[in-house]
Amino acid sequence: MSLSRSPSPQRGGGWSSPGLTTPVDGTSRRPSPVRYAASPSNVSWKSASSKSDAKSFSTYSPRGQKFQTHMRKISANIPFWNSSKDYADKEGRGRRPDDWQKRVPAHIGRMVWKLRAPFAIILAAVALFFIIAYPLLHTWRRTAFLGGGSKYVIMLATNLGGGVMEWKGPREWAIERDSVKNKKAYAKRWGYELEMVDMSTKKRYAHEWRESWEKVDTIRNTMRKYPNAEWFWWLDLHTFIMEPTYSLQSHIFNDIQKKVYRDINVYNPLNISHPPTDEFLDPISRSAIGDGKADSINLLVPQDCGGFNLGSFLIRRSAWTDRLLDIWWDPVGYEQKHMEWEHKEQDALEWMYTNQPWVRSHFAFLPQRSINSFPPGACNDKGPNTKIHYDSADRDFLVNMAGCEWGRDCWGEMFEYRKLSESLNRNALKRFWDWVKGTPPHKSKLVKS
Amino acid sequence: MPSGALPPKKASPYVANVNRNKARQMSPRSVVLGALGVIGTLWMLFRLFGSSSTPKSAPKSVPGMGGSAYAKTVIVTVLDEKADADGPIADFVKQNRIDYAKKHGYATFFPSANNYTIKHGSSSWAKVPALRHAMTLFPEATYFFNLDPHTLIMNPTLSIETHILAKQRLESLMVTDVPIVPPDSVIKTFAGLKGDRVDFVITQDREGLSEKSFIIRNGDWAHFFLDAWFDPLYRTYNFQRAERHALEHIVQWHGTILAKLALVPQNIMNSYHEKQATAANDNGIYKPGDFIVNFGDCNQKAKGRNCENEMRPYYARSVQADL
Repeated sequence: MSLSRSPSPQRGGGWSSPGLTTPVDGTSRRPSPVRYAASPSNVSWKSASSKSDAKSFSTYSPRGQKFQTHMRKISANIPFWNSSKDYADKEGRGRRPDDWQKRVPAHIGRMVWKLRAPFAIILAAVALFFIIAYPLLHTWRRTAFLGGGSKYVIMLATNLGGGVMEWKGPREWAIERDSVKNKKAYAKRWGYELEMVDMSTKKRYAHEWRESWEKVDTIRNTMRKYPNAEWFWWLDLHTFIMEPTYSLQSHIFNDIQKKVYRDINVYNPLNISHPPTDEFLDPISRSAIGDGKADSINLLVPQDCGGFNLGSFLIRRSAWTDRLLDIWWDPVGYEQKHMEWEHKEQDALEWMYTNQPWVRSHFAFLPQRSINSFPPGACNDKGPNTKIHYDSADRDFLVNMAGCEWGRDCWGEMFEYRKLSESLNRNALKRFWDWVKGTPPHKSKLVKS
Repeated sequence: MPSGALPPKKASPYVANVNRNKARQMSPRSVVLGALGVIGTLWMLFRLFGSSSTPKSAPKSVPGMGGSAYAKTVIVTVLDEKADADGPIADFVKQNRIDYAKKHGYATFFPSANNYTIKHGSSSWAKVPALRHAMTLFPEATYFFNLDPHTLIMNPTLSIETHILAKQRLESLMVTDVPIVPPDSVIKTFAGLKGDRVDFVITQDREGLSEKSFIIRNGDWAHFFLDAWFDPLYRTYNFQRAERHALEHIVQWHGTILAKLALVPQNIMNSYHEKQATAANDNGIYKPGDFIVNFGDCNQKAKGRNCENEMRPYYARSVQADL
């Protein structure tokens, strides 16, 4: 709204402004010939402007500009509560209680009615905000160049040993349901892709050797399925994301150099001698940390008490990765080692890391508890270990109930950790309500106090 | 100039005092300048020191290296210089490569097979770490040409680039859609491979891939390929022909290797001497003008062969061809 002049003070108090309908007694201030000045005290801006419009010589003509018209309407309405009175009455208003009591409700009613349009607009805007806020946030988090969520794919192994060949009991179904629900919610929250990997569809190879080596093939297929994704996070079924509020970006990737270690000597349960010392190798292969740059990291693996752990690891799309996935399974290696390699891909990866220097320079390790905390039941030969076992006080990101299918209670552990995660991540209202009711915080049987 | 800003010296009893004042006035400036000087010197020292430890620097020299450290192509021949092995032929075999390399601005590298401890498998595996070594010593080079000691360069006028590696040339030479291991391997060479995407150029004889003469391009793929080839599991597997069969194995089982391999006709870079004729492919027998002659198993005395006797006349011919 551009005024042709600044509002000017009036002799009798108040001020003259083209937007206000205060009876104007300011003929002297008008910049233009005042045709309507015949009865100045009765003139409202409305009539004045319509007149001036008709003559179309006024410097101020709000008509034809929607916004201005609209604004003028609002401002034009404001003094109406006083419009029936003489100018002189202004001083006396509100001094008579009976008048005041009558006038105020009526006035409010009138105000509301008059302002119904702006109210409706504000209401619609608020409603719209609540309707689109989540999808908007979701889109933001997904979009590659904003939140970048679509660059991450979570691969969850399902249907372990179940499906067609073996009977799956109610507990197995319940475990799978909880685990899947957990990852679905997490993927949805951060805009990641979630790929369920059906481990029951074992590929039939030309020979029988390769059975249950699907991890490698599955990762390759998934990379093909999501051609724009960069990082692929493999998760075993018996894992639970305890802290869904951590995004992968904030938890690892935004500051990857500080979240990983390149030199296996930092934690080396397998006693792999590192770095390689062969004189024929190039300096990067002989360096303990490769080239030391963040963008040379293509594989993020945690180590447990016994070496590499592929229950929860991240792999990045790259030429290096293509080669690794290609060479990972080899019939000559398999023929010689399949009796020895109890953990299949995991052992083969350790073998490659140990014996093929090109593998090491693109490897990085994650401290186990940053992505793969164990429950007390796993790796417990030497008792609790702060590098290995879950601690709710530190709000560890993920629990991997590794080995629960051998003599432990997978469903019991899954249930306990789900409850604990829910309890740890209660919202403020729930916390308050629990405090009112005096409900104690969830105490897990599995988690040491 | 700082001295110009000072009042002229006067002969007075206070000269010493003035000088002390001058010193006091100068001190902040000189301290700053001095500090800057020290920092600058340290910075330059660190730069010099730092750059000398980066891989881009001139590689250190090891026995067997020849030619410019910045050559684009390196010829690698692993010699077993014991008297009963390559001893008698070592000198002229080396000279054959050195003369050729000089002509084209290539470098040469003649490591001894004993340099590489091969815990498992025969010493013939040494060519694999030797190539890795060559890549470490010549990090700026693009192509590494592995030549068996029992081969001679017969046509030194041919440069590796124009004769084999130029994109158009390589695409026209490539033998596509043939079994890796003749006659009936199910894995066949790729068709439609672009010449500039090739990292590995090799020939095939009647029995399979010939590891005696091949070219490999420096880079991440080469490191991957050589390390994978050299995996102890292949060395302990008792492949009948050690690294040669291991090579055939990884090429056939791993697509990321096959996808970088270009097979060229045998006479392009691996013509067989007539005593090897039974192993040669069609057109694989040496005829004058061919780039390389390969004497194959000339070291097998049991078969009545003798490398020195067979190779020396050819070496003389190659020298003549060069004149």
